[in-house]
Amino acid sequence: MFVNLSKLHLKEECPLEDKGAPKLCMKALPGEGAERSCAFDGARVVLMPITDAAHIVHGPIACAGNSWDNRGARSSGPQLYRRGLTTDLNEMDVVYGGEKKLTQAIIEVAYTHQPKAIFVYATCVSALIGDDIDVACQEAQKEVSVPVIAVNAPGFMGDKNIGNRVSGEVLLQQIIGKEEPEEDHPFAINFIGEYNIAGDLWGILPSLDALGIKLLSSISGDARFDDIKKAHRAKLNVLVCSKSLTNLVKKMEDKWGMPYIEGSFYGIHDTSATLRAIAQKLGDQDLIERTEQHIQEQEEKTRQLIDRYKQKLAGKQAVLFTGGVKTWSMVTTLKELGIEVLAGGTQNSTPEDFLRMKALMNPEADIIEDTSAAGFLTLIAEKKPDLIVAGGKTKYLAHKTRTPFLDINHGRSLPYAGYRGMVTFAEAVHRTVFSPVWEKLRQSFPPGGEAR
Amino acid sequence: MKAPIKIKQRHYSGNPQKNSPALGATIAYMGVDGLLALLHGSQGCSTFIRLQLSRHFKEPIPLNSTALLEDTAIFGGWDHLKKGIAKGADKFKPRIIGVMSSGLTETFGDDMVSALSAMRQERTDLAKLPVVLTRTADYVGSLQEGYQLATLSLLNTLSVQKVPEEAQTVALFPGAHFSPADVEELKEILALFGLKALVLPDISTSLDGHSELEPAPVVQGGITLEEIQLIPSAVAAFSFGKSMNVVGEKLKEMHGIEHFNITTLTGIEAVDSFYLKLSQISGKAIPTQLLRQRSRLLDTLADYHDQLAEKRVSVALESDHLLALTSCLTEVGSHINIALSATPLPEKHIPEGLPFAVGDLEHLEERAAGSHLIIANSNARQVAGPWKIPHLRAGLPVFDRAGVPQKVWIGYRGTQRFIFDVLNTMTTH
Repeated sequence: MFVNLSKLHLKEECPLEDKGAPKLCMKALPGEGAERSCAFDGARVVLMPITDAAHIVHGPIACAGNSWDNRGARSSGPQLYRRGLTTDLNEMDVVYGGEKKLTQAIIEVAYTHQPKAIFVYATCVSALIGDDIDVACQEAQKEVSVPVIAVNAPGFMGDKNIGNRVSGEVLLQQIIGKEEPEEDHPFAINFIGEYNIAGDLWGILPSLDALGIKLLSSISGDARFDDIKKAHRAKLNVLVCSKSLTNLVKKMEDKWGMPYIEGSFYGIHDTSATLRAIAQKLGDQDLIERTEQHIQEQEEKTRQLIDRYKQKLAGKQAVLFTGGVKTWSMVTTLKELGIEVLAGGTQNSTPEDFLRMKALMNPEADIIEDTSAAGFLTLIAEKKPDLIVAGGKTKYLAHKTRTPFLDINHGRSLPYAGYRGMVTFAEAVHRTVFSPVWEKLRQSFPPGGEAR
Repeated sequence: MKAPIKIKQRHYSGNPQKNSPALGATIAYMGVDGLLALLHGSQGCSTFIRLQLSRHFKEPIPLNSTALLEDTAIFGGWDHLKKGIAKGADKFKPRIIGVMSSGLTETFGDDMVSALSAMRQERTDLAKLPVVLTRTADYVGSLQEGYQLATLSLLNTLSVQKVPEEAQTVALFPGAHFSPADVEELKEILALFGLKALVLPDISTSLDGHSELEPAPVVQGGITLEEIQLIPSAVAAFSFGKSMNVVGEKLKEMHGIEHFNITTLTGIEAVDSFYLKLSQISGKAIPTQLLRQRSRLLDTLADYHDQLAEKRVSVALESDHLLALTSCLTEVGSHINIALSATPLPEKHIPEGLPFAVGDLEHLEERAAGSHLIIANSNARQVAGPWKIPHLRAGLPVFDRAGVPQKVWIGYRGTQRFIFDVLNTMTTH
């Protein structure tokens, strides 16, 4: 499916002149080392956690080969989504076209792996040689009983964020609303932009269960294709991460009338605020009361559990470098542990997320302008923080600065969402900040010489 | 009689074991001190490579991008490349810039050579900055091929000038499958023979995972520019792995230096013949230290011969690595159930009787039943797990075992280590 870029509302989010603001509609400069990603990556991130579907990348090996099964989006059941499937275009395909090969590939994958649906992703090379993946998918559809869905977001289309939006359009136009749920649950909701990284979702579900709220679908985390088809019957959309899917919730509101709220499940404050907002919006008095009680109990319990960490962490200073909802939600979460954010930066957030981060931070805190490795190193040398909170790609560079580090992006192995996740988060921060190895790393040896 | 085995032919690759050639080129570039690697492609191309190499080596990977967007799909990326090189030079002050292309730029046919000379005309201050260009179209080959091409470009571009011969100096071209610790072991072995080694690329001091005093956004450690320029002074050259033969042959062609291609350095026979050759070149007897290591290896083989004999092993790796490990296993009496290579190999290089095929990890899945051991990268966990077959991690990426870049599997000592790893993986499962 082709998505008209003008429908993605990119322009209206572009006027930010602030220093360090994410340059959504500005081109990254060649050679500056911005270290962002591409539209194809962004499109796949959103759809990949549909766990019972097959995801075929129509491109040369660079697009799938270097990156399959590398995200921490977890499944409680099917593992098919983790399989790396690609047409692995070779020289002959580039010369003669790869459409026929793709059609065959789709049919073979359908036969071999019995998926519930097949997503087919275009890439730079396949787009450039003029392969029409819509046609290839239609051809395959004649032989395949499950839906075959084309996702047209080749890498050169822009950065990750734009790819997210394309996937939102695909979901809206081709999947959501295609099946009616068996029952009409009064408190049915969807999460939008919750990818179940490291099992984050499973830290939130206990609260929903306790309150009698039904999660109809999570788009997309631990998701099943058939559940997403029914997502239009939710009473409420909760936009959890990635403002890039705002278009999706707005259009779902127009089409099926369900309202949406924004929220985050990182940290005690944001978890409670989001639960409260869900209950308010669903509007049931009994639910609202139960929610208040639940929040009170859980907050008390969680505060007790993290108190010993908070006492030791209070007054520590952090540098925060991430994307999406975490840009701002992590500022609050760190504050709950008594940690102050010295500087914050973002590569992949929307301007809105960025502004929210800025508003929450201490006015003296710095905004990271140069998001390259060079800029990062200069900042750390200058600020000497007690902790760096960032994504996996910064991890090993951070270690070189001999500074405690916490990975909060897609490569991590621990869930940080919900009340339970807050405890895990506090434990993890405490472990890295007070690890005895940092002192060893900073000692000079032999004594009096330079550190080795 | 050679009979490469038949595997299921499909129109897709399932759980590919290939990585992109540009990723291989990046590894080679990481073995050159003060280098800034620049990928001519869209931003995802370089991000995927950085993530993949970071999770394998546990190191930051200084790889930059020309950040191509939609307009370049129409107008070409020539101008972006010019700007990218200049910007990288200004911002990061590298000693060398190593450029590689991508599927995107090779498809629209950007001429990297003319972009570079146009840049140099505009920016006369950068006229002398060494820039190495490697063409790595994503749709030709895998990691090994990209690594080979980048090494070849480094040599072609930087080792041109004739220099006087230096006695006891040899040039080494390690294969893409050598770990940083393998390269270090190789250098130490040469030192024992009193030989000075110029190693291209040398990842033993850059990707070895050391705590730098001053982290930087360019490569730290590795062979220096001056050392690369001294390569023509070598009295002999060795390349390791069949794919690296062209690099050694290029040096021979350029400077008339005698070149030996060593297929593998894992396995007693292979190491024997390499040490005899070193002894000949250096005029020194094989050092007693190495003979002691040989004697220990022999004792290990005796002690464990029964646990090794007739074990069925399924291996999926890049071809140089595949030949190295399967020949060692065959030597100790194990059976190769299947040898799956990431990319094709000329038929003359496929050993007699080796059940060789080009395939992915889905092929491994179809063929692994009944194996005592799988040797492949971490992604083969999707095969080994459900089949409950012990899985020894090798190749790239290995992200779920500690210390892989620090592992030595070459020389007598390294062969012994490999045998131990095989045995321990099978017993602790």
